[in-house]
Amino acid sequence: MRYEAVLNVNGTDYPVEIEPGRSLLSVVRTELGLPGSKEGCDDSECGACMMLLDGRPVNSCSYLALQAQGRSIVTVEGLQRDGELHPLQRQFLEQGGVQCGFCTPGMLISATALLAENPEPSDDEIRIALSGNLCRCTGYQGIVRAVQAAAAEMAADTA
Amino acid sequence: MAVVEERRGQFIRQDGKDKVTGLGRYTADLTRTGMLHARFRYSDHPHARLLSIDTTAARALPGVFAVLTQDDVPDVRYGGFVEDRTLFARDVVRFEGEIVAAVAALTPEIATRAAELIEVEYEPLPVVRDPERALLDDSVLVHTGWEGYQANDELVRRGNDCSRSTIAKGDVEAALASADVVVKERYVADMSHAVPIEPRAIVAEWQGDKVTVWSSTQVPFIARSGVATTLQLPESDVRIIVPHLGGGFGGKCEFHFEAHVAALARAAGRPVRLVFSRREEFIAPDHRREGQVVEIETGVSRDGTLIARRARLVLDNGAYAADAPFFPQLAAMMAVGPYRIPNVSVDAHLAYTNTAPSGSVRAPTAPQACWALEQHMDAVAERVGLDPVELRRRNIVREGDETATKQVFTPIAAAETLERAVEMIGYGKELPDDEAIGVACGWWPSFGMPSGAHVKLHGDGSGTIVTGAQECGTGSVMALPLLAAEVLGMRPEQFTVVYQDTDAGPWDAGASGSQTTFNNGRAVVQAAIDVREQLLELAEEVLEAARADLELVAGRVQVKGSPTRGVDITELAGKAAGDKLLLGRGSGSPPAMPDCDVSGCTGRLGMESFLAPTFMTHAVHLKVDRATGVVRVLEVTAAHDSGRVLNRMGADGQVEGGVAMGIGMAVSEGTQLSDDGRQLNPYLLDYKLQTASDVPSIRVDWVGAPTPDAGPNGSKAVAEPPCVPTPGAVGNAIAKIAGRVHELPMTPMRVWETMQR
Amino acid sequence: MTATYTAATTLDEALAALAAGSRPVAGGTDLVVGARQGKAPLPDAVVAIHGLGELYGIVEHGGGLRIGALASHADIVAHAAVRERFTALADASAIVGSHATRNVGTLGGNVMNASPAMETGGPLLCFGAEAVLASPGGERRLGLDRLLTGPGRTDARPGELLVAIELPAPAQPGGSCYARLEYRRQMEIAVVGVTCVVALDGDRIASAQVAITALAPTIVRVPDAEAALAGSDGGADAVAAAGVAVATAARPIADVRASIEYRRAMAAVIAERAIAAAVARARGGSETVPVPASPALHGATT
Repeated sequence: MRYEAVLNVNGTDYPVEIEPGRSLLSVVRTELGLPGSKEGCDDSECGACMMLLDGRPVNSCSYLALQAQGRSIVTVEGLQRDGELHPLQRQFLEQGGVQCGFCTPGMLISATALLAENPEPSDDEIRIALSGNLCRCTGYQGIVRAVQAAAAEMAADTA
Repeated sequence: MAVVEERRGQFIRQDGKDKVTGLGRYTADLTRTGMLHARFRYSDHPHARLLSIDTTAARALPGVFAVLTQDDVPDVRYGGFVEDRTLFARDVVRFEGEIVAAVAALTPEIATRAAELIEVEYEPLPVVRDPERALLDDSVLVHTGWEGYQANDELVRRGNDCSRSTIAKGDVEAALASADVVVKERYVADMSHAVPIEPRAIVAEWQGDKVTVWSSTQVPFIARSGVATTLQLPESDVRIIVPHLGGGFGGKCEFHFEAHVAALARAAGRPVRLVFSRREEFIAPDHRREGQVVEIETGVSRDGTLIARRARLVLDNGAYAADAPFFPQLAAMMAVGPYRIPNVSVDAHLAYTNTAPSGSVRAPTAPQACWALEQHMDAVAERVGLDPVELRRRNIVREGDETATKQVFTPIAAAETLERAVEMIGYGKELPDDEAIGVACGWWPSFGMPSGAHVKLHGDGSGTIVTGAQECGTGSVMALPLLAAEVLGMRPEQFTVVYQDTDAGPWDAGASGSQTTFNNGRAVVQAAIDVREQLLELAEEVLEAARADLELVAGRVQVKGSPTRGVDITELAGKAAGDKLLLGRGSGSPPAMPDCDVSGCTGRLGMESFLAPTFMTHAVHLKVDRATGVVRVLEVTAAHDSGRVLNRMGADGQVEGGVAMGIGMAVSEGTQLSDDGRQLNPYLLDYKLQTASDVPSIRVDWVGAPTPDAGPNGSKAVAEPPCVPTPGAVGNAIAKIAGRVHELPMTPMRVWETMQR
Repeated sequence: MTATYTAATTLDEALAALAAGSRPVAGGTDLVVGARQGKAPLPDAVVAIHGLGELYGIVEHGGGLRIGALASHADIVAHAAVRERFTALADASAIVGSHATRNVGTLGGNVMNASPAMETGGPLLCFGAEAVLASPGGERRLGLDRLLTGPGRTDARPGELLVAIELPAPAQPGGSCYARLEYRRQMEIAVVGVTCVVALDGDRIASAQVAITALAPTIVRVPDAEAALAGSDGGADAVAAAGVAVATAARPIADVRASIEYRRAMAAVIAERAIAAAVARARGGSETVPVPASPALHGATT
């Protein structure tokens, strides 16, 4: 049977009717029309599906959509501010952090959560924080550079 | 190089904003009205005779619109080198991922259920698992009727040996007999996988007799040929569109599943989408990196001069040939390496087994063969008492040297890559006794292919490149505007690129063989020159000056020496828009293959000489936990000769990614098989890619040599070379601490076992 | 495919749903992944318990702890008392999956999934944890050793819900460590894991608890290793003897992750590291070996 629910994604309430077994990823991608979050594996190993749930990254492929009711969900589509790229989004481009782009949505979510918690992460802290997001293209070098650059930029903005 | 440096950090990929905002669409993101979902029924046995397939129950399931087997498609055998396979299994299944039937249904769940309901009866056959044993005369045959398959005339095949190549030069027997030292070793590399983070996906929809297929393929034109061949359609009735492609690394090369989905869509009368699970991405594609057994023997004189190389390589082909039949020849070249060796005898085989088919994965054959060769080089150095870098220094190829097939090198920078990589890492510095630096060199050809492009300038002076080229994320297509802009004196941002569509662009070999810049770059440059000539013709009239006196600079055509006498390209374009449009086309023949002498060699499949060869050296500093065998890589330096680098940020990104993949191959990525040939670790917890915390800082430098037969602006291949030497360099560093590990990947357990000996 | 879903707002509601045959889901990390991989289909009826506020807290009482079943691995790692006095549990919780898994995965889920490779099981066993199981009939307490009966099996009865794990106050001064063999620096699962908890009496080890993970069908204590440590000076000989005892007690399997021989050898190595770290922490405070211990014990690259 289907259940009525309201999911708050990127600040918008979406009324949905969903079966209880559906993952948050599946519902957001197909029912809400927000396919930015990707499906890369079956077992929470690749991180391409990461979303922020009440500000903390979760693998949405392994999370039941109905359990996300009443919570704030942020996907990669919700990172822009006033039509401008988030510093992380821009630095991913400027530092060579994007090649095929399939891991990028989850990477950006992880990096957003990291900088919210630790605005001045060390190189190793960045690498540890992004370890749940597999990238096959960049060797992570451009991604780490991008997070460093975005952290510096955001620190300068708030200073 | 100054120009290149200025571009660093300023060159933003045109698809970048799409990708960081999540608005870009990949194949699995696409839906079509009325779309159904496809599922395959895979073989239940790695090797068995098919006795019967009963689809009655599956067809009866509500929501099922089509169920197909080989009986429902044209009975066509296909394959690039050997026509050894059919879309669906016919009579015999030969590996666990072989497709027996396909289903299209309203939901993925119904499709899955229907696939399970297909009843298949088998008679299990003995499984051919070990490629060396497969070559023995008494082995069970994977393909009993192989003589009847159409095949490339150059292919040397016999029994399970799908393709054999040899290299013969000089007199190896005599040279080995006269050598001061002879070192003989055996190395075994497990198979591994490309593992793009995007599992493949395909959507097919028919309009009348024409089918459009959206596919996560690296090679749209080859996919088009595959669909046309297997479904017996003219190529003009097949359109392949590639949405954003989430990585490939060779795993999405070749023709795969587009025809299955197109056939389902035709039978169902509706669009159909197929999306692979991660497990399917491991077991079903015919593009894993092949396992290798390398027996290698070297004769060397006391002063470290290499005088003879003998080697026998057995490559695991898996159940179908795919694009692998040229691998033995390529692997044979890799087993010689970038070294001067006067006497060579290499014998390489590609053995059919009942495992997943092998195919091109980023620098096919090279990381494994180079891992064996480069560890062997260190073993030779140890036996003659030379530092491994010094042994390489004395033997590495330089301009004027010749290869095992007597190709004479034009200017190359192989030796420079060696010096630069060891300099960057501080080779020889004091290290704790559980740390070491290993070094490995490698080489890799550029691939000359036909290719085409159009360049158009619009009335407002902006431009569009229409190309058949495809990229899998590397940035190779994204960088094409750099070339057009340079020819036309414009800025790269003034160009958009239309690609990803076989109905739009001219034929191209796709994102394979590191060939996009090399070949499509040539086409784009030529198309831009075509437009430039048209602009100059217009400018002649406007400026009343002879064409020979005109130049294109900073968006203007101007008279050489008097820059004030000029006209903006925008103005010329506006003029053309009302009259004769500015349309350029380019193709051009690829550079000729270098001369070589292959008398005495067999199995010549195009790898006997290396066009515009690239060279590279990697140095790896790592630490071994002696109690556990766990290896942590601390630093990597990589020096490459890829000729002139056009897009430094993009090229660095290729090396950084290739090194990370190489570290994975070295220490953590291996496909494990059961005794009957089933993959035991088709998921990412136990097929271990390197994480961000495992990959260390990677420092890259380019020491390109000017190459006469290079691609545009002196460029050579970039994307594949970076994964060639990394595993060998890792192995050489491990060997200094733990002893030499002769199996790849060099997992903690294998390192530990080595230390127990 | 799951047919019905209830989101419980009170424990009574949850228990009623369980009594009617529903299965509980907290973070879903094991349940949903298991279903997607085809290991076990999602149950027909699930009751979501993530809304039960009383199941979240980590409460100190008399030097011990009551950890709500819904405490996430991230919550546990962040808790000062856990890091200070139940350090091995912090070690374990800090290395479950990725940060995304640790944000959602709960202690209750980890325990009730009853994997022989679960990271938190060894520390809980060594700290003498009791599971608090609620049912409409009331609560019962069960030691972890009795709760875990086999791979994927527990002694919990149908209708019972794990609501908390209670840990008695550890003997002081003491220290503990959970270490596992790690192929990669992150995103690992125990191939071999060892927990050690020690209490000191002056320079000597007064008592020790040692448990092995992924080395037997369930996580079990190793009495011979504990005996080798108890009364000793915690020096190299005693640690080595305990390592031998651990390797002897191990009943490893061969699988894609390791051979029997390698697992057995690593059992001794990891045991020695975990014991040495526990002793060092007991003697020098928690700063001597950072949390989590495993990366540091494998020679972290930083």
